Amino acid sequence: MNSPRTFFLLLLALLVSCFGLAAHLQPQFQAWRGSRASGDIFNVVLGDSRRMFANNFFVKADAYYHSGYYPTMFDDTEAFKTTHMAADTGAVKDKNHGDEHGFLGPTRNWIDAFGRNFFPDRHTHLDEGGADDNLGGTENVREILPWLKLSADLDPDNPQTYIVTAFWLRMRMNNVAEADGILHEGLRNCPDSYDILFELGRLYNESYHDLDRARNVWEQGVRLWLKIYPTLDPEMQKDHRFIMEQLTTHLGKLEEDAGNLPHAIDWFEAAQKVSATPAHIQEQINRLKGKLGLEFNPLLKPLY
Amino acid sequence: MNNIFAVAGVVIKELYRRKDFYVLFIVTILICLVMASVNIFNDAKIVRYLKEICLLLVWISSLVIAITTTSRQIPAERENRTLLPLLAKPLTRSQLVLGKFLGCWLACGLTLLCFYVFFGALSASREHHWPLLNYFQAAVLHWFMLGVVVAMTLLGSLVFAASSSNSTICFVVVGSILFVARHLDQVALTLREPLRTVIYSIYFAIPHLELFDVRDLVIHSWPLISWLYFSLALLYALGYVAVFLTAACLVFRRKAVN
Amino acid sequence: MTPILQTQKLRVEYRSRELRQGTKIALHGLDLEVCAGEVFGFLGPNGAGKTTTMNVLLGFVPPTSGSASLFGIDVRQPISRQRIGYLPELTYYYKFLTAEELLRFYGKIFGLTRAEMDKRIPELLKLVELEHAANRPIKSYSKGMQQRAGLAQALINNPDLLVLDEPTSGLDPLGRMKVREIIQRLKNDGKTVFFSSHELGEVESVCDRVAIVHQGELKAVGSVSEVTGRHTSLEKAFLEIIGFQSSPTL
Ligand SMILES: Nc1ncnc2c1ncn2[C@@H]1O[C@H](COP(=O)(O)OP(=O)(O)OP(=O)(O)O)[C@@H](O)[C@H]1O
Ligand SMILES: [Mg+2]
Repeated sequence: MNSPRTFFLLLLALLVSCFGLAAHLQPQFQAWRGSRASGDIFNVVLGDSRRMFANNFFVKADAYYHSGYYPTMFDDTEAFKTTHMAADTGAVKDKNHGDEHGFLGPTRNWIDAFGRNFFPDRHTHLDEGGADDNLGGTENVREILPWLKLSADLDPDNPQTYIVTAFWLRMRMNNVAEADGILHEGLRNCPDSYDILFELGRLYNESYHDLDRARNVWEQGVRLWLKIYPTLDPEMQKDHRFIMEQLTTHLGKLEEDAGNLPHAIDWFEAAQKVSATPAHIQEQINRLKGKLGLEFNPLLKPLY
Repeated sequence: MNNIFAVAGVVIKELYRRKDFYVLFIVTILICLVMASVNIFNDAKIVRYLKEICLLLVWISSLVIAITTTSRQIPAERENRTLLPLLAKPLTRSQLVLGKFLGCWLACGLTLLCFYVFFGALSASREHHWPLLNYFQAAVLHWFMLGVVVAMTLLGSLVFAASSSNSTICFVVVGSILFVARHLDQVALTLREPLRTVIYSIYFAIPHLELFDVRDLVIHSWPLISWLYFSLALLYALGYVAVFLTAACLVFRRKAVN
Repeated sequence: MTPILQTQKLRVEYRSRELRQGTKIALHGLDLEVCAGEVFGFLGPNGAGKTTTMNVLLGFVPPTSGSASLFGIDVRQPISRQRIGYLPELTYYYKFLTAEELLRFYGKIFGLTRAEMDKRIPELLKLVELEHAANRPIKSYSKGMQQRAGLAQALINNPDLLVLDEPTSGLDPLGRMKVREIIQRLKNDGKTVFFSSHELGEVESVCDRVAIVHQGELKAVGSVSEVTGRHTSLEKAFLEIIGFQSSPTL
């Protein structure tokens, strides 16, 4: 009874029954909605908590952008409400209003004062050389990319990550091909994202100088925006009006450059409806109208 | 003095004849190499994330080695009863405590040396420059911080009976100091008396280990720390080491060993 | 003769949370004297207080009352242990060291020079018959080999007084004979040996004087023949002293 052979036979029987059970349960498990078995490794390991991590890494990228000079939850974070690297892309509304140079405040006691010699304590930007005063020039900004990539991998449904990544790849590292790639990946994961379309249009316009494709994606962006916000509801669209304004003003400029002044005026008028500074856009419209040689409201004449 | 070194020598021998160090070292190397092989937008010059991961692993490994090695020293001597022949020799209990401290601390220093050499090689493979003085400052500050941890753990191993509970306690204490100690005074301000005074006194009483964590400066290639503040930090660490060791000697002197 | 090991009204109470009744009296006013050049056997049943007495002599356990001294110096002063060698019971030496490294380590603590150690350590290893295993880690040793390494360690400083707690436990008959020989040799060199044992036969053959303790009290002391007295053997005397009645049914 106690011979090794019985032991092996028993083991074999157990293994067979385990496989059988697994094979039997597999389809049911697949059908179960909460299944993590599908999808990628992050999904399997972390489940939905991965979004939290994704945001964490996104912020980490911004901390890298500042060479580690970054507030914690205990510091004054007014100046860091929107990550600077995102705000700099122009695709995200900047809500910062605080002293980004001195969020640490005056020293509180000797330990605090002493401790400030041992961690980053100056506001610097990576694309302006970083902490050591220009070792790698503007290309230093590459250091934020790993965290952005990780953030995108963890939470593929957040368009902001793709936009920011593409912006820095294109603007500071002249890596247009990779920027194009990440934006397309973003579009695959969030097909309804007008912000990604906006950034893609900028890439076509500024890097490839391909006005037609730029116009196409931007117009597509506007259509998507209108589909999502069919009526103007200032409360609901608070943050999203900004991107619509960007889309329409960029389209306006594009049409102006292409010589389609009436089209351009149409776009600027659309921009006026969502803009936070309509007067500023009115100037543009008036300028274009003047170019067209059309008569305009004489009351506005003193502005020129 | 000679017998202190003799005790320290045995501790170091133990470290390199046991497997923990090699395991941690190899795991660190493997993780770093895997991380280095990740393709990020076809850009092979990205280095800071790698430095950060490597330093994080170095910090974790060094703390694990420091705390586990130290916390088992005296309990093991007690369990195996080697404490008896040792103390029957012309070796006072204070000398034993000092010897154990010195051994654990030097052992940590040797481990750090290995780890930082690897770190330097890893970052130089991408950055193509050697900020040796920065590495020196980071490693030495790290080492002195471990000195405080070792002294604290040694005291703990004399106060708490079980070595496993002692190492858990030490991990928790060191971890929380590293994470929140810098902000305890701000936390205190949000509280009411008498808790405020309590937190405030804790803030001033604990060793601020987070001062010695200059990883951010190394990762982001900040300029050197001024040598004045660097040496003051070392003195600060030595002060706490002295406090913990004195307390350990006092506790140990009262204890019956058998 | 001057006593070099002396205890007076030595009383030891253990206080410990693990003990039910709170305190345990291990020694009740023990008076003991061991003179220079003697081989002194310290006998008693399990739990009699032999190890406790040695712990007091070596300063591990403070006496609750009474006093103890070595070479006329109170045991609370570490200097009193300068010239003694001690073999504790049940010790598991550093597993990762070899016997040679172990002896070198203890030698360094005694402040021996390298030259002294180079001469003394091979001698000791030969004496305890560990020279073939000198470079193997102690974790690969058998129990008896560990015990012999312990004996070597007790002799590293060429001590004048040896305190050995059950030196022959775990040894085979040949090993015991060797230990007896070593004790005899030490006696011939003029050293004093104070050792505890459960092997009455070996005590009879090597000891000048013996003491029997039971429940922390000294029951008998004197030369082997004095303690044996009217009994046919030391064993019979021992059994009677500790109050053992052989039951007729057995
Ligand atoms: N640390 C301790 N805490 C409490 N009681 C103890 C302690 N050490 C010993 N004792 C008690 O003291 C008494 C004497 O113990 P001791 O070890 O001296 O006996 P021994 O004569 O050496 O016995 P053995 O022949 O078994 O080695 C025993 O009853 C034991 O239970
Ligand atoms: Mg005993």
